[in-house]
Amino acid sequence: MKILIADDSRVMRQIVTRTLRQAGFGDHDLVEAADGRETLDRAMSEKPDLVICDWNMPEMTGVDVLRQLRASGNDVKFGFVTSESNPEMQQQAEAAGATFFIIKPFTAERFDEVFSPILG
Amino acid sequence: MSVDVVVNESDLAELVEQVWVSYLDPEGVSPLVPTCDANQPSEVHSSVSITGSWTGHVVYASSAAAARRAAAAFLAVEPDEVSQEDLSDVLGELANIVGGNVKAMLPPGATLSLPQVILAPESTTRYPNAERISGLYGRWEGEPISISMWQSRQDVKKEETV
Repeated sequence: MKILIADDSRVMRQIVTRTLRQAGFGDHDLVEAADGRETLDRAMSEKPDLVICDWNMPEMTGVDVLRQLRASGNDVKFGFVTSESNPEMQQQAEAAGATFFIIKPFTAERFDEVFSPILG
Repeated sequence: MSVDVVVNESDLAELVEQVWVSYLDPEGVSPLVPTCDANQPSEVHSSVSITGSWTGHVVYASSAAAARRAAAAFLAVEPDEVSQEDLSDVLGELANIVGGNVKAMLPPGATLSLPQVILAPESTTRYPNAERISGLYGRWEGEPISISMWQSRQDVKKEETV
């Protein structure tokens, strides 16, 4: 499977990658995006099977990326890894079509719990 | 005169513990040891601003050595392999993680900014019309680290008149 990791922090993209590996999902094909606009572009051009996306990014927020993808008919599995979380945001994410919502800081156990049903 | 602090020291301590367990001290051998010293020195700092239901700043400050060590822990490399870019990125992410979690404790209707990183002591940055309302001060493997909250004076005034 191809996974797109989107976060404006390069370090956080590396941590997501490492945590995926620790949780046993290291064999997948990983691609990255560093802002909202690039995430939208790569989600279209790379055709990933899963997008793991930060919420608060330059150019476009993660939820706006998801809304635009859905509006264009793209139904890639998409979820958030974010330091921000409140019921309002989780509702927005769900309404936009998000599959999961992971709060930073996160652990490999949390990744396993969320991604096992998706990645197998 | 007391101000009703929306996020207090014990809330900050809980957040910090999560960050330490997840990234900085997964083995549980090097916790942040509280010093309660609001005047401890810093050499670098990062911050995020929150606006809306609560308005102010969340500031992470530390020595350069602690920042290098944090970046090394985040990246799983040795401290001498950490570049200046890594160090800035990790400082920004620390402010973002703490600020995001602080925001989650606030009443709905707050917005979080992108982080700002300054490779200079915390005292070099001024937050006009804001005052420090709470903070967590400690040492990590002997190096100073602090997380503090600065609240907009307008917000403080509102609470005082309630």
